[in-house]
Amino acid sequence: MIKLFIDGAAVEVPEGTTVFKAAEQGGIELPHFCFHPAFAPEGSCRLCLIQIEGSPKLELGCSTIVREGMKVVTQSPAVREARRGVLEFLLAEHPLDCPICDKAGECKLQDYSRDYGLTESVFREFKEKRDKKVAIGEKLLLDRERCIQCTRCVRFLAEITKSHELGVFERGVHAEIGILEGGPVRNGYSGNLVDLCPVGAITDTDFRFKTRPWFLSRGESVCPHCDRGCNIYVDYQPGFPRVPGSAKVFRIRPRTNEAVNGPWICDAGRYGYVRAQNEGRSDRPFWNKDGAKTELAWDTAMAILGDKLRALADAGRSDRVAVAATSWLTNEELFLLKKIFRDDFGAGRIVLCDPQPGEGDDFLHRPDRTPNARGARELGFDPAPPTLEALARGTEVLILFGPHIAERFAADELCAALRGIAVKVLVTPHLTGLEGLMDGVFASATPAEKDGSFTNFEGRIQPFVAAARPCPDVRSELAILAALAGSLGLRPDYYGRLTTAAAVRRELAKDIPFFGGAA
Amino acid sequence: MTKAPQVLTEFFWLEQLHRIEAYVARGGYAALKKALAAMTPDQVHDEVKKAGLRGRGGAGFPAGVKWGFIPKGTDKPKYLCVNADEGEPGTFKDKYILSHDPHLLIEGIVLASYAVGIQAAYVYIRGEYEMIARRLEQAIDEARGAGFLGRNILGSGFDLEIVVHRGAGAYICGEETALLESLEGKRGNPRLKPPFPAVVGLFQCPTVINNVETLANVPGIIRNGAGWFLELGLPKDGGTRIFGVSGAVAKPGIYELPSGTSLREIIFTYASGMKDGRKLKAVIPGGMSSPILKAEEIDVRMDVDSVAAAGSMLGSGGIIVIAEDTPILQVLRRVAAFYAHESCGQCTPCRLGTSWIRKTVERMAAGRGQAGDVDALIRLAANIQGRTLCPLGDAAAMPVTAIARKFRAELEGGLATAGARP
Amino acid sequence: MSAAFSPELVSKIEALAGRYPAKGAALLPVLHLVQSERGLVSAEDERAVAGLLGMPPIKVREVMTFYTMFRRSPVGRYHIQVCTNLSCSLAGGEALAAYLEAKLGVKLGGTTPDGRFTLTGVECLGACETAPCLMVNFDYYGNLDAARIDELLGSLT
Repeated sequence: MIKLFIDGAAVEVPEGTTVFKAAEQGGIELPHFCFHPAFAPEGSCRLCLIQIEGSPKLELGCSTIVREGMKVVTQSPAVREARRGVLEFLLAEHPLDCPICDKAGECKLQDYSRDYGLTESVFREFKEKRDKKVAIGEKLLLDRERCIQCTRCVRFLAEITKSHELGVFERGVHAEIGILEGGPVRNGYSGNLVDLCPVGAITDTDFRFKTRPWFLSRGESVCPHCDRGCNIYVDYQPGFPRVPGSAKVFRIRPRTNEAVNGPWICDAGRYGYVRAQNEGRSDRPFWNKDGAKTELAWDTAMAILGDKLRALADAGRSDRVAVAATSWLTNEELFLLKKIFRDDFGAGRIVLCDPQPGEGDDFLHRPDRTPNARGARELGFDPAPPTLEALARGTEVLILFGPHIAERFAADELCAALRGIAVKVLVTPHLTGLEGLMDGVFASATPAEKDGSFTNFEGRIQPFVAAARPCPDVRSELAILAALAGSLGLRPDYYGRLTTAAAVRRELAKDIPFFGGAA
Repeated sequence: MTKAPQVLTEFFWLEQLHRIEAYVARGGYAALKKALAAMTPDQVHDEVKKAGLRGRGGAGFPAGVKWGFIPKGTDKPKYLCVNADEGEPGTFKDKYILSHDPHLLIEGIVLASYAVGIQAAYVYIRGEYEMIARRLEQAIDEARGAGFLGRNILGSGFDLEIVVHRGAGAYICGEETALLESLEGKRGNPRLKPPFPAVVGLFQCPTVINNVETLANVPGIIRNGAGWFLELGLPKDGGTRIFGVSGAVAKPGIYELPSGTSLREIIFTYASGMKDGRKLKAVIPGGMSSPILKAEEIDVRMDVDSVAAAGSMLGSGGIIVIAEDTPILQVLRRVAAFYAHESCGQCTPCRLGTSWIRKTVERMAAGRGQAGDVDALIRLAANIQGRTLCPLGDAAAMPVTAIARKFRAELEGGLATAGARP
Repeated sequence: MSAAFSPELVSKIEALAGRYPAKGAALLPVLHLVQSERGLVSAEDERAVAGLLGMPPIKVREVMTFYTMFRRSPVGRYHIQVCTNLSCSLAGGEALAAYLEAKLGVKLGGTTPDGRFTLTGVECLGACETAPCLMVNFDYYGNLDAARIDELLGSLT
């Protein structure tokens, strides 16, 4: 271990650590643009300059390796003046776009300019004029006037995706980032470039001009689009009424977890999830009565289902109930579902109905398109998809969680099988057309809108809390199951407590060793 | 006056000197024969170290010391890069060595490679020297044919190949790490140091980078000894230098003179003084990157340490003489335009600072200068100097600072007469 | 749509690549070679070179646009590059450039309509002792004045 001093405070770090990292450990973040922990130091922005006792020149924090007894100063007048100089150079050729730039409010150039007191330009020459809307990818626009040549974008595509779509052309002040003709950024991870860009040079067309970061609240969640369980931030506007056509969640961004996804997420998760969050949502329960779809209040719809289930139970025919769960449910929901329908209600069939696997890549995106397949397996669900015949035989009430059954079977087969079932209820966050075949539809929450945990493919249990708020008549599956247990009168002393994910998780940890450490 | 010893250029004007027969006939490759037959690599290295041979590319770093940075006992291949980029404005000496006496260079390359244990040498020659590169390649073929290159040179067991590699028009590729990047087939973006090229250089292997003229001095040192070399010049800066004199002098050209010859003597004795009877205004002593000297400062002795003490740089020894009737703004414009054009663009201060300086100077030249512009230039240069990833930033900043400080009155006077508006 | 590389060109490229432990190092000499044979390096040429040297095509574009000697568009039969640097300026380089512009009827950067001459500026050529000077293709000419320019242009047919 090496001991050094940063602004007088002692810090101990392993040999080979950079001053930047040592400072971070000591609670100091050196200002930086080109540096990113996922890449080797670049040393080109020159902003992280620091003073090292005994060195006549200022040194870079990002690339200087610590030495025993090194004395580092991160905030002397000389250091501040040097950083101010760098910022002044950047601002000289940077357009005053803040009022129209998406990055405003989360822009490092803005933040540092404020920190270093740069409020008035002293640049009296003509700025370079460059293209401000270069389409470099399906959802990416490059503004070359804003670009500060940090090359993080180029290095990401060289070192992480190894797809090399971006390069640096020309030299000097004319240097610019660009693609080859016919070679836009297209590698399944393009959205990360927007996060990487420290200024508003690369913007996301999905997010462009829609809102301001300071209107957004940030929740922590887990991406449900495959079983890797990348950690994410859900950026949403609290209190923003979700009227038809309005978006409530504005974007999904990666949340760094070195063990799972690093600082990245794939485009399928990023764009797929924000779309899934906002589009085609089922907003309130309804019941099909004599061909007419009647929207119902939540309690009314629950009461109807509860009546039908209790009727069967009273007649000793609970085994005529089939439940199709899905690996989109949380560990807690799957546990509760099994407890209620297998242990206490005695349903005839409990199966898993999951979407078809898709293409995986060799980076983050995995073929299993559910967030909790491993969790379902550990909870004892049979992963083999059911046959329609097995599901429908003798079934009088079918409760479907998630619309995935429609992906597994041809429409006419499904239609025929379901026709024979007296009562069909679908619990889903999304309207997919399957509702037409159902008697009742309960609007459920997406993972971003509820508490719970997923078990990723490695067996890593990742808890999360609700990041965004759903519409008033949308409930999590956990709330639906808890309400069902209540309306069926099942063991109130037991189920009465199990109304939150945390409470269910404690039970789960007691019951199943695999989840032992989860609570 | 006694003629200065012409150890490098003595035979430059001989017809067909560049042919190997002519070179061998006047003692060429004798040093190599001696070294391979009777000296160990360490002994060759020590002789060059004792001679204190300082780099002739611009930095003046002792070559023997630089060779010593190569790690001993590494199992990676070791490379020598010969810096023949010669891009420093006012510099043209290496052109003569390459075209008139390529075998002198080749012999120096082989000796240096023997001393350090180099497996392959690459000559990075600027793209514009296309014709000279062809002549060098011919000479290399001749040398190989005569057994001075290739496998088991002169039966010594030492192998060496020399590859001529053309640049393509980028001054920055004269900077050693940018040269390496360019040699590897990439943009000439300088590398962060550490690691230093001696440890992580060409193809990530230990690499020595030496200037053409530096290596051209090695055969003489090996043939005649370190003592001889030091006698020619000064104790801390031995040997001769090929100074290039251009600008407003009567006889522009190369002049091989002992280290430590005074600038005044070079200009007024050897280059025959000012052209057409003009008066001297200023001199840039060591290529455009060296701070300008005023007429009264030219008694400085032209060796590395003396010029540094005078606040400038011996650099490449490219002496540019400026006459009084030349507006200093004209000089400043050329300086500002050059560095802005040649900045690689990698790091913030150089990429944006050289452009800002050029724009300011152009505005001044267009008659729209403002009060405070000269101070602005000094401030911009100060924000570049010492803050950049490579020395081009310093090279861009120091001349601007020197011109702005030493000729402030003329520059500011020019603003006033040009009808400056606030 | 430029023609594919001839087998001779390909083997010359491979020979160049063989001089280095890593093929990519041959890029600059290879681009010089391609340009000398075809007059310029087109986008297809870039891709072909990239394929032969085992690098992403964008790396070739990066190099093409960094170095001033590589051309992506055609130049005249005689590419006149007049030095715009300091020693030549002190010897009247600006006037020389202006004279050439006038004689050829093009500004710096332009090509004469008959395709004979392209005139550009260039940084220090390393021939300051013969200032003012210029380069025609790869040949240096110095100590120029109006008469010598006229003579030179006359000889370039």
